[in-house]
Amino acid sequence: MSNRYDIAIVGSGAAGLSAAVNAKIRNKNILVFGNRDLSHKLNKAPLIKNYLGFYNIKGRDLKNEFQGHIDAMNINIIYERVNAVYAMGDYFTISVNQKNYESKAVIIAAGIEQTSPLKGEQELLGKGVGYCATCDAPLYKGKVVTIIGYNREAEQEANFVSELASKLYYIPRYKADYSLKDNIEVVLDMPLEIVGKDKVEKLVLKNKEIITDGIFVLKDSISPGQLVPGIELDKGHIKVDINMKTSIRGCYAAGDCAGKPYQYMKAAGQGQVAALNAVSYLDSIIN
Amino acid sequence: MVSEIKDTDFSKVIKKEASPVVVDFWAPWCGPCKMLGPVIDEISSEIGEKAKFYKLNVDENPVSSMEYKVASIPTVIIFKDGKPAKTLVGFRPKEAIKGVIENYI
Repeated sequence: MSNRYDIAIVGSGAAGLSAAVNAKIRNKNILVFGNRDLSHKLNKAPLIKNYLGFYNIKGRDLKNEFQGHIDAMNINIIYERVNAVYAMGDYFTISVNQKNYESKAVIIAAGIEQTSPLKGEQELLGKGVGYCATCDAPLYKGKVVTIIGYNREAEQEANFVSELASKLYYIPRYKADYSLKDNIEVVLDMPLEIVGKDKVEKLVLKNKEIITDGIFVLKDSISPGQLVPGIELDKGHIKVDINMKTSIRGCYAAGDCAGKPYQYMKAAGQGQVAALNAVSYLDSIIN
Repeated sequence: MVSEIKDTDFSKVIKKEASPVVVDFWAPWCGPCKMLGPVIDEISSEIGEKAKFYKLNVDENPVSSMEYKVASIPTVIIFKDGKPAKTLVGFRPKEAIKGVIENYI
């Protein structure tokens, strides 16, 4: 058997770290995915007055406290972006760039990014709208494809898709010197709505319309539903019960991704509940 | 058991079956498809003969993928009496897919 961890924790904010600390205390073999800042939101917070025990602390200082705490407990963070968590049945596969990890339980503590989808995006998902251009590119061989790119990685995907598509429109949602192939048409305009009946027909922008067979929306952050395909959502958040259990057996969620209010102590508390329940779940599957 | 199906025998196979036919549209370059493959294998062995399971490589079989409007993979289509009864787009957890298939048995 490959190296299968007990619990994989996706996210290094207050929820993820609190989950990690509690799972470690219970002597579980854990994996934590996150970034060097631990949490961009925490780092940017000017002053925090509602984290019990740390009155008027700067976000950056609280981050350092968190870092010191996990260092003291020998908890290491893997600085890799998780692309997807697949529920395989009795275990989970955590897919990061070009590598997969396996765990028996998962805690999703990935926070939440507030960018609302385009009108028509969700209705036409899988009917011409997609989030992975390289995955679905061969299905659009000889067809017209439009890519709405929110970051520079999207340019690479556009270049790849342009080799197969008959026509590729690229709509950048950021300013840069785009490194795109000559046959790609860059459209500097604001997308408003995706229109189609059974499948995508056109993209409506502020100043024009594009007739297209497929539209790929390539964003920075992954929504909870994309991160864990098939998980049940509730108004854009992961649906959880009081034990932080999700609709998938062995999968727990904590922090902002599990709903409002978006607060540090709530996140830490939920991370703890999630970890303790993940531990009981692990105990239950052994017996 | 999950068998390979191709454009040439597609309509013949799905029409002759009395039990539901589950077709997994996949391609070798698609990451989520690789994850779904073993999940479908397991569901197939648990469900047994009550449903027939096939996988179709969309790279090699563009006709069937076009006919059933497969615009994103993995896509799983459940056929009943030769007609598509349910389409599931994207990876889903094992229990979720199994539950949907059982509705058609």
